[in-house]
Amino acid sequence: MSTTVKQALVLALGGLGLAFVVLRLAHRRLLTTRYAFGWFGVAVLVILAAAAMPFVSDLGKIANITPTAVLLMISSAVLLAISIQLSISVSLLQERLRTTAEAHALLANKVAELERQRQSDT
Amino acid sequence: MKVLVVIPAYREEACIAEVVTSVIDAGYACLVVEDAGGDRTAELAAAAGAEVVELPINLGVGGALRTGWRYAVTHGFDVVVQVDGDGQHPVAHIGQLLTKLEDNDLDMVVGSRFADGGSHEGVSLMRRVCMRLLSAILRRFARVTLSDPTSGFRAIRQPLLAEFADEFPQHYLGDTFEAALVAGRRGYRIGEIAIPMRARQGGKPSADVFASARAMVRAVVVLLTGTSFDISPRTSAGRQ
Repeated sequence: MSTTVKQALVLALGGLGLAFVVLRLAHRRLLTTRYAFGWFGVAVLVILAAAAMPFVSDLGKIANITPTAVLLMISSAVLLAISIQLSISVSLLQERLRTTAEAHALLANKVAELERQRQSDT
Repeated sequence: MKVLVVIPAYREEACIAEVVTSVIDAGYACLVVEDAGGDRTAELAAAAGAEVVELPINLGVGGALRTGWRYAVTHGFDVVVQVDGDGQHPVAHIGQLLTKLEDNDLDMVVGSRFADGGSHEGVSLMRRVCMRLLSAILRRFARVTLSDPTSGFRAIRQPLLAEFADEFPQHYLGDTFEAALVAGRRGYRIGEIAIPMRARQGGKPSADVFASARAMVRAVVVLLTGTSFDISPRTSAGRQ
């Protein structure tokens, strides 16, 4: 078995593993549909990449780098993109959480004020 | 002119009652924004006669302040005066802040320890050097002259108040230095008065040396990259 085939097999297994884990997590509601879909997409991409391994090794030959290095480069780029996307989500959530907390505090104050008014009225 | 004194408080059990009492005795409406410190600060402030807003989670000074600005705007106040909950700020000088605000038609007046006639206790050399640097940046990039750019003793008036209620940074130095920088650049008029500032009377300081250094770096980077928050220019603010 050539290196390319071995790598393709490892990739395919990894992709299937990822798909399995993502499905499990989605079932247990630890992942929202949005992220479950996203990661499932990544798993499908990994499996497709396994099918495209011969092409990857050709690409490596043209650029004169090993197929392993090509794979690493592509996967690093994908991980980087995902991390940045998650940071954007977290920043947005932080801002929303802050606004909600502030609104919550102001509303609680308003409720207390109304309660006091009601008590003094009766 | 309807004035609200806003006190952001995080674990200020030791002093909050005394500060609230002095503010109320001076004749001002007083709001304490308690920043989820998990102690008796809110209870003591309310007992001393302050209106209290309790944040459900800790947001830091900027979050507590924006809550205060929002309260002021929805309750129809024209001016807010920010006072620390640790007893460092001279409540007796609130009147001077307000006089300066009106007489010079300013949007924000900051109490300065370092202005002529001001005084300070226990400010390290390192800290003073940082102040000088921030001060120079404000002068150079926003044409704002503030000798104490991190001072949290200040009066803010409409329409700047409403702008800040809308958008106000949460991180350390964001609420003081960056706010002054952005307001100055947007054409708001900022001045200062000299005040004596005591060493803190109780509680713990909110930032250690590393946090301060990090905040300094961030403040400068934010300035250089133009990634700070933004508000409407003075000429168009409040006219909708």
